[in-house]
Amino acid sequence: MKQAEEAGVEVHLNSVVMGIFDLGEITVQHGDGVCHYKGDSILIATGACENMVPFDGWTLPGVMGAGAAQTMMNLHGVQPGSRVLMVGSGNVGLVVSFQLLQAGVEVAAVIDAAPQIGGYGVHAAKLARIGVPFYLSHTIVKAEGTDHVTGAVIAQVDESFRPIAGTEKHLDVDTVCIAVGLSPMSQLARMAGCEMTEKGGAVPVVDEYGQTSIPGLFVAGDVGGIEEASSAMIGGRIAGAAAARRSGYLPEEEFREKASALKASLGQLHEGMFSPKNKGRRDLTVTDEGYHLSKTLLHHGYLSEEEVAGFPGAAPGKSAGIHPVIECTQNIPCNPCQDACRFGCIRVGDHMTALPAVAENARCVGCGMCVASCPGQAIFLVNDEEEAGTATVTLPYEFLPVPEKGTKGVALGRDGSVVCPAEVVEAKTAGFMDGTVLLTMRVPSEMSMKARFFKTGEGTK
Amino acid sequence: MSRLLDRNREIGAFVPQQDDDLIICRCEEITKGEIRRAVHEGMWTLTEVKRFLRAGMGLCQGQTCGRLVKGIVAKELGVRPSELEDTTARCPTRPVEMQVFGNEVHGHE
Amino acid sequence: MSKNEEVIIIGGGVIGCAAAYYLAKQGVSVLVLEERMIGHGGSSRNGGGVRQSARDIRELPIAMYGIKNLWPTLSEELGVDVEYHQDGNLRLAKTEKHIDILQNLVDNSRKSGLEVTMISGGQARELCPYMSEEVIAASWCPTDGHANPMLTTLAYYRKARMMGVHFITGEKVVKLKKAKGRIRKVLTQSGNVYEADTVILAAGFPSRAIANTVGIDIPMFKELNECLVTEMQPPMFWQMLGTAEADFYGHQTKHGSFVFGGSSGMEYYYRNQADFAHETSITPASVCRGIMKYFPALSGAKIIRNWAGWIDVCADRVPVIGRVEEVPGLILACGFSGHGFGIAPAVGQILMEIVLEKPVCVDISPLKYNRFHAKA
Repeated sequence: MKQAEEAGVEVHLNSVVMGIFDLGEITVQHGDGVCHYKGDSILIATGACENMVPFDGWTLPGVMGAGAAQTMMNLHGVQPGSRVLMVGSGNVGLVVSFQLLQAGVEVAAVIDAAPQIGGYGVHAAKLARIGVPFYLSHTIVKAEGTDHVTGAVIAQVDESFRPIAGTEKHLDVDTVCIAVGLSPMSQLARMAGCEMTEKGGAVPVVDEYGQTSIPGLFVAGDVGGIEEASSAMIGGRIAGAAAARRSGYLPEEEFREKASALKASLGQLHEGMFSPKNKGRRDLTVTDEGYHLSKTLLHHGYLSEEEVAGFPGAAPGKSAGIHPVIECTQNIPCNPCQDACRFGCIRVGDHMTALPAVAENARCVGCGMCVASCPGQAIFLVNDEEEAGTATVTLPYEFLPVPEKGTKGVALGRDGSVVCPAEVVEAKTAGFMDGTVLLTMRVPSEMSMKARFFKTGEGTK
Repeated sequence: MSRLLDRNREIGAFVPQQDDDLIICRCEEITKGEIRRAVHEGMWTLTEVKRFLRAGMGLCQGQTCGRLVKGIVAKELGVRPSELEDTTARCPTRPVEMQVFGNEVHGHE
Repeated sequence: MSKNEEVIIIGGGVIGCAAAYYLAKQGVSVLVLEERMIGHGGSSRNGGGVRQSARDIRELPIAMYGIKNLWPTLSEELGVDVEYHQDGNLRLAKTEKHIDILQNLVDNSRKSGLEVTMISGGQARELCPYMSEEVIAASWCPTDGHANPMLTTLAYYRKARMMGVHFITGEKVVKLKKAKGRIRKVLTQSGNVYEADTVILAAGFPSRAIANTVGIDIPMFKELNECLVTEMQPPMFWQMLGTAEADFYGHQTKHGSFVFGGSSGMEYYYRNQADFAHETSITPASVCRGIMKYFPALSGAKIIRNWAGWIDVCADRVPVIGRVEEVPGLILACGFSGHGFGIAPAVGQILMEIVLEKPVCVDISPLKYNRFHAKA
């Protein structure tokens, strides 16, 4: 937004586009009046709205979309409730669950009617190591309460997603968040008379630059088909370039070069386990490189210690000296770790969906930049202190309050269970780490590949 | 262009179901049973269902229930949801007070 | 595809569905062919007025017949609440010129026996306390009212279908064909051919092009009609409202929302003449300003939707109803010019009477299709 304003773009917030009309005209509500605008090109980037799933009690206060809960927390600084059931294990459900925890809200469980977790394994792992349970092949059958949610009943489902009688479980929650997918908010495109097609909802038919069947009318982002933020931004740049070309501001050659480069980056994002073409697939068993995908990760949100050791990010045979352990085991389009290390210890390669690997001759200095850079919080620094019989584990910590040096507590394993006592050795952060704290805890040395989270005190759940 | 629909086609009788009193359109409080029954009374397009029951005519203009209604109607007719023609999207995209709507301010080119 | 029905009705709007129902009631087998879906044209895009006042005297008797005999029991008969309110019609005047217009309309209507009077602004405000001081007079017809046009159309359809009427939607009629001097075939865009000895053409503006294929013309043009709908309000008043210059009309619905329509004055010149009627960027705002002058209490009411539709405006602003001499078996019912809804039940019955060669309940000869002549 800042870049756009600096480039001279007139930005109006709190302005609702009410309608789109003939010949490039729109009406916009600004404050207490309505303005008319005309554009030689119009780009619709209105995103998506949350899907709903109806169940007994879904109209009770306390049932809300996961996105609504996120808006409440991040925009309005309000806790949506005190104890949540998250329905849906896609990235939205996983990420919002973590944000709920950060806001001091308990997450009783994440459920999904599908037999495996829909979002990235690393996002699920963040929850699992804090002890959030996953119930796959489960659906919500009821939200209890008379004037607000006081509890929820979930049940296992069969292959036709029907609840199986007798498998009901009761959860003590006061909030139910729904994260069962998004639908494009394509009303304006439909209003304009675009030729529409079906892609997880009604979306306009577009050419390679995002132009709809109406010349000069473009779409970008989720409104053209649900993907995620990075592809939305690239799609926006492509449409912007096409609009600039249309108005004669970008010569043809330059436009083609620009569009080509952008489409190549977009192509990268469309690869990997979670690419649009793999959407809904449950039959993948290995990564692109041939490593076996972890079943416990897909079904419970955590890797086993043996599985971790088998992946290239685990730096096998490097128990001497401080070294990174990267627990990133699925092909996702992500590579900040590669650039974060100034010593070249981490390699992803040209294809950003490739699994990160720790270099054979890595000279790790233990700065922790990789730990801070990983958006999935999947990188840990492990240092064996052989003589003392202890090891330190440095993990990314994004909660308040931050435990101080010397704090005694327990270490939790990947599945959230208490594995051993632990003591905080250091808790440091820096401006560029964007709020992430590098927390280093000391544990018995045999726990170095087990201990993955710290809890002050006894750590009782 | 609408799909050809012979309204004499046999779609089976209306069979009451356990969740018929589940509210689907929250704005207008229309239940699943009402929607299913409307299909059996001849409302075979999403627009006919909407006009007959008011499902999708409330404040959110179908943003919350649209997808759900589509699924229910499709199931009753034995077709894929994508075969049903969506209802019409209209101005304004969000409710606007009359005094605001009528207050036209000069805009830019 | 379908066994040969006795009557084919082209157009699944309120006129076609009502006619189908009354014919089915008499045991006639009927096929209704609808281009899009039931009630998708003007039937779902009007202000819901069920009125006699301010009607052309050629169609006034039809309106009076319907209100006297059909509307009061329609919901019960069709088994669906069509939300018929008979709480009167107020046609508002803001200027002396308006008063003259209204007085003229009142005088004409009274000649046909309609109970309608001029009242003062104060009296109008007694009937409807929310009205502003801008109103200096009004015409008042206590037997007028309004109903829900979408429900009425679908109610006729639902009952007719239950009674065995065959409906096929998504079937666009493109051509009529005579055989041995009579109407015989109805051809559709999808390539289907339907046959009957009696065809009722009640397809709104598209009726013209269809009639042209058997050498008949109905002088019509299409005009955009736009309305806006508010969120529900507490019950305020039930009268149907209009204005002397017919530039604004509306009422509060059973649901509580207000439906208001109006014009921008630019309707004749709109560029977009596609089948789909798109609301404009100027009319709804203009209608809002008009409403607020009459009903300041609604200034804070939220508009949740605009919609638009095409009015089939006949050259002399009243419909064409009746048999076509050159095409025996063809019956026309179109060109309702923006006031077809209120007379639809009566027209439905009249069409049934024409088909079955019964005495027609109201004289429709002034509405015959071949009444149009050049000025002398």
